[in-house]
Amino acid sequence: MGYAVEVQNLIKKFPPSTFAVNDVRFAVEEGEIFGLLGPNGAGKTTLIRMLTCLMKPTQGSAKIKGYDIKRDPDSVRRNIGVVSQSMTTDMDLTAWENLDIYGKYYEIPKRERLERIRYLIDIVGLKERAHDLVATYSGGMRRRLEVARGLIHRPYLLFLDEPTIGLDPQSRRVIWDLLQKIRSEAKLTIFITTHYMEEADILCDRIAIIDYGKIIALDSPANLKRNIGGYDIIEVSLSELKVDILAKLKSMEFIKNIVEKDLSLRIYVENAAKAMPILIDEFKKFNISILYLAIHEQSLEDVFIHYTGKSIREGEPQKVSFLIGAGVPRRI
Amino acid sequence: MRAFAVMERDLRRFTRNPILMLASVLLPMIYLVIIGNSFQGQLKNLPIVVVDQDNGPYSRRVIELLQAMQEGPRMIKIVRLNDQKEALDLVKNGFCKAALIIPPDFSEDIVKDTNPEIGLFLDNTDVISSNGLSNIVSQSILFLKSEYLPIRQSPSKVQIRFVELFKKIDYDASLVPGAIVMAIFMGTMITGAFNLVMDKFLGIHESYLSTPLTKRDIVIGTIVSGVFITTLMSFIVLIGSMLLTGIRLEGGFVSFALLVFTIILSALGLLSMMFIIMGRANHPRVVGLIGGFLNVIFFFPSGAVYPIESFPGWLKAFAKVNPEVYAVHAIKALIFKGADIVAIKNDLIFLCLFTVIMLVIATWTFKRTF
Repeated sequence: MGYAVEVQNLIKKFPPSTFAVNDVRFAVEEGEIFGLLGPNGAGKTTLIRMLTCLMKPTQGSAKIKGYDIKRDPDSVRRNIGVVSQSMTTDMDLTAWENLDIYGKYYEIPKRERLERIRYLIDIVGLKERAHDLVATYSGGMRRRLEVARGLIHRPYLLFLDEPTIGLDPQSRRVIWDLLQKIRSEAKLTIFITTHYMEEADILCDRIAIIDYGKIIALDSPANLKRNIGGYDIIEVSLSELKVDILAKLKSMEFIKNIVEKDLSLRIYVENAAKAMPILIDEFKKFNISILYLAIHEQSLEDVFIHYTGKSIREGEPQKVSFLIGAGVPRRI
Repeated sequence: MRAFAVMERDLRRFTRNPILMLASVLLPMIYLVIIGNSFQGQLKNLPIVVVDQDNGPYSRRVIELLQAMQEGPRMIKIVRLNDQKEALDLVKNGFCKAALIIPPDFSEDIVKDTNPEIGLFLDNTDVISSNGLSNIVSQSILFLKSEYLPIRQSPSKVQIRFVELFKKIDYDASLVPGAIVMAIFMGTMITGAFNLVMDKFLGIHESYLSTPLTKRDIVIGTIVSGVFITTLMSFIVLIGSMLLTGIRLEGGFVSFALLVFTIILSALGLLSMMFIIMGRANHPRVVGLIGGFLNVIFFFPSGAVYPIESFPGWLKAFAKVNPEVYAVHAIKALIFKGADIVAIKNDLIFLCLFTVIMLVIATWTFKRTF
């Protein structure tokens, strides 16, 4: 099976000496949902802009479906759909008109185009509002329309740059369901950047973590969690605390540490799912009732913090035009 | 006081936009120079064609007096021709502002005292120049009248017959071509490159730049849509002006077709030029500033309000490359004279060249990547 995306030693240097993307190398398999995670300013958008032929790399190469981004940008553009970070649908047009015009950009014949628009409007749930101006849409509706527009020409690969940024949890879930549905209906490879861990965990088959322009980890969400070590935490509040039970717990091999505070315990274990039934049995044997119980499993956020650290990114100072000031709005 | 905080915010932001400060100081001064030199200057080198059919002592004297006007204050530029029809064609086609025809028996009439008369055929579509020329010729004749002469001869009776070659035009009606050219300019400001700047400002351009659209597709598509809107706007202004001033189009179908073509060509040229100037701007503020500035430096010295013949040398030189000069000249000829292609040939050649060059540069300089 060929690779949908093949990136070889890609570098993007901004003068004088900032490496936004620094010698990145990875491959995305056909049909997978590939996530790119990273803190603000890590190089996610720069990387996606190079792959979508919006920005020229300083060095290195990348291929989309075998087409080189530098030598054959036209073929690359024909095979990709892009949902940008900022909302880019025309507010003065209706959803239908937005899709129709983009269909014309890709030279889709009229009959096929109309059919495709009807299908997409339906799956993104905008059938009732298809002929309303986009200016009247909520953020979530507009984002769904952007996804539909990215799919108008049946792309081979769909790029989504922070697709749920600024959306409420309901709209976010609708987008996730939509992406999973599209993926199952069409043989589509999806390349997504996000810094919502839950989003990456739910959607992605594999995740690359990028920081300071370099890929520092790449694996499936489960493997990434497993690989960072660390423990799940079981938190319990008990009716009473006996010395014997503490001794018993401490003697158990799978329990790595116990922190006690009044009648509460924080028990560090390798695998909470396996440890839970054993612990409940033990408390029963000692006739102790459990008043409260919570499990904190290793999350992708732990993975993220593990790799990228806790420090807040100051980022490079942004250039502000001396002449016109800071007039151009920054993206969210 | 809270109002001070509001004021402080405004002042702080203003000082962080040096281009606004610079523009608000520099532009009025530039406007002063441009507009100041575009109006009420002394008319110079007005081309007048003289046909001397008399070739007698008095016709030669008239020409000498006119030559004095040419050599001294340089108010006129004399073109000598023998053929009356050819001379009138020069005026009708806008190459000369007036034709002075001295009839065959002019000197004889003076000697015989039988109503000596010379004819001054005026291009009255340029109200200011034609008034100027009438005065200059009248003054010359006045000299003739005051000169010492033998008693029997009475040049004081020389009459000038003023002939206006075109339908009379009021000053406000004479501004109509200028209004149309300004509508074209305004149209090019709010369409074309401006839409791209707005797209960039809102971050919308990213989406269509990742489609297979080529640079040529984007430049041509944007410009042609601008031409469509601009042409429509110009015709609305034309109809409105016709209703306001009571003028009507003088020519027939050919002339109207040429008018449509000239407006489209002017819009195309200006839109392409805007594309070069603003194609890389990413803030509407820049468009506003540049647009306002260009409007003043192109429009006022275009001959739409006051004749180019009154401009100082440097402004005349600029007029040679100012596309609005050619647009105004052509539209004036088409509306007021019902001119044919001969009269506006040079304008169309310039506008075509200008448009092609601008379009090529616009496509070449447009950046498709970030």
